[in-house]
Amino acid sequence: MASRRRMLLKVIILGDSGVGKTSLMNQYVNKRFSNQYKATIGADFLTKEVQIDDRLFTLQIWDTAGQERFQSLGVAFYRGADCCVLVYDVNVTKSFEKLNNWREEFLIQASPSDPENFPFVVLGNKIDVDGGNSRTVSEKKAKAWCASKGNIPYFETSAKEGFNVEAAFECIARNAIKNEPEEDMYLPDTIDVGGAGRQQRSSGCEC
Amino acid sequence: MRLLACCYNDPEMQIDPDTVYPIRPDCRDDAPKTRFKPRPGLTLSPRRWKLLHNEEGCLDIAGMIKRVQRGGVHPTIKGEVWEFLLGCYDPKSTTEQRNQLRQQRRLEYEKLKTKCREMDTTVGSGRVITMPVITEDGQPIENPNSDGGTSVGSEQQTSGAPLPKEVIQWKLLLHQIGLDVNRTDRVLVYYESQENLARLWDILAVYSWIDKDIGYCQGMSDLCSPISIILEHEADAFWCFERLMRRVRGNFISTSTSIGVRAQLTTLSSIMKSVDPKLHEHLENLDGGEYLFAFRMLMVLFRREFSFVDTMYLWEVSCLDKISCFIVINVSNAYSPVVLEICVGLCMRHYCYNFKTLQLMWSMEYNPNLFSMLESDTGISRETTKDEGVLKQCGKFERKSLQAAKKDEIPLSIFVVASVLEARNKKLLVEAKGLDDVVKILNEITGSLDAKKACREALQIHEKYLNTVSFRFIHKS
Repeated sequence: MASRRRMLLKVIILGDSGVGKTSLMNQYVNKRFSNQYKATIGADFLTKEVQIDDRLFTLQIWDTAGQERFQSLGVAFYRGADCCVLVYDVNVTKSFEKLNNWREEFLIQASPSDPENFPFVVLGNKIDVDGGNSRTVSEKKAKAWCASKGNIPYFETSAKEGFNVEAAFECIARNAIKNEPEEDMYLPDTIDVGGAGRQQRSSGCEC
Repeated sequence: MRLLACCYNDPEMQIDPDTVYPIRPDCRDDAPKTRFKPRPGLTLSPRRWKLLHNEEGCLDIAGMIKRVQRGGVHPTIKGEVWEFLLGCYDPKSTTEQRNQLRQQRRLEYEKLKTKCREMDTTVGSGRVITMPVITEDGQPIENPNSDGGTSVGSEQQTSGAPLPKEVIQWKLLLHQIGLDVNRTDRVLVYYESQENLARLWDILAVYSWIDKDIGYCQGMSDLCSPISIILEHEADAFWCFERLMRRVRGNFISTSTSIGVRAQLTTLSSIMKSVDPKLHEHLENLDGGEYLFAFRMLMVLFRREFSFVDTMYLWEVSCLDKISCFIVINVSNAYSPVVLEICVGLCMRHYCYNFKTLQLMWSMEYNPNLFSMLESDTGISRETTKDEGVLKQCGKFERKSLQAAKKDEIPLSIFVVASVLEARNKKLLVEAKGLDDVVKILNEITGSLDAKKACREALQIHEKYLNTVSFRFIHKS
């Protein structure tokens, strides 16, 4: 039990209301999609055991309310986060424009020790809607923003179809691991330093 | 004996509440199971409800409370009863007076709705807005690919004149309301109808216009939905919801640094500290002393923890604390504040078993407001100014108050949360090694809670809490 906490990776999902945060989390953890999700009040979380390079981790994914006025709860919920996932809806321009605000708020409230290098991952969700005909934010535009913020890994997903969700969360887990200070980690002697090194954010986790 | 037999054979009482609010067949496995069943001789039945009114239609409120407290309200009369429970009408009023007031309110709602329709034509159109329609600086957003149900339409937007700030603020909320309405109680067959969805959206859109401090906050759709369902007329549902909001709106008021419900969480924390110091300490050690894991329970009053029918039962019982106050105020109004103060101490123990204790105490302090709440019509702006006056009074009373620390009344809902925690006391103490475990343990109970049991236990904790508090008071003085 003593090592349990150390293997825990805390991930926070942020983004505007209705972009699919709860759906993404449930698709990843429970492999299912439902039309019956309710608006998240406060915050909720699910956990999933993941294996990354032969090591086991518990991914603790925190799903948050999308209405901005709940942001004041951030201080309490974001504490100890290892990675922050920013989600927008590719069909709603405003949800993309708000990413910057979500990112900055997170950095203020979570106040990580090294904000410059804190790992974020951006997900453009709902690419399935109307066969992609209704999208208003192009992949190029989204990638350009991610590049300007220190090469944030970017994924296009469909929580409904389960498209790219697994790959996105693997990247999220890898980035979360990188954020854990090594002395805090419960790792066997054979740490695969090379493996971790190869996962540079600029090169790794491409969709 | 014959009467009793007649009660038991009453076909009205054979009803399964789940058939009154049917759940979509594809959702039955996932929806929480309902435990509440109308019970002959205990539940307030349509027949009994009729008998509780005299010829003029004045209500025997004490008789009503007795029934509701024992066994909840029969599904077919929930709407009418809730109007009284939430304080829409004075129990002493006659049917004619109420009809008059109802007509006035319906007209008032129509006016408000017309005003909203002038600002956005989607209001009252049977459609729902789910995409942002305006930017923060008031520029309209065109939604070329609106999903059939959305529209931007408004004459004002094309006129070119800048919109007033309050109109922009209101328009910024419309898609949020729509997003939530589309996700509220969708397991119910009722919401398969677009008309019913639009009605919930309309009520919330109009409310967000009249309550400028809050507008719309996530969670409000969960509170509004049952009311919209049980009241046939949209305007009646609106005013009933508005009354409910008066009770809980403090939870929804947010600033950049906090949100209202946290005050209740602080109260919960102090209650837990006094009734179960061991569990409280354990939670504190897990960094859960803020009780944020109970956030949702208080915010949407257990809508997510209980089935639809069971939540309504829980609300009915919780509503009683305020109603009981009215009766006691009627009696106690003649006494001077000094006498009242002494009474409060006595009442604390005397009414322990009847939901009346703290609420009673508090309502004495709020006396003028509560009266006018019953007597007055429902203009919100006036109510807000009254509230300020009351707050001042409250400050004055506070110095003499038995519980100097209590700035807010303690609603029963907080004790219900405490009872939920207490029911998992052992598990929390033994198994919770982190805050995540606490959340997990509490999530497990979703849908498996018994509203009646939770309520009974809440009252026991309430009593225990009061005993601790009054014990301290006696030793202090």
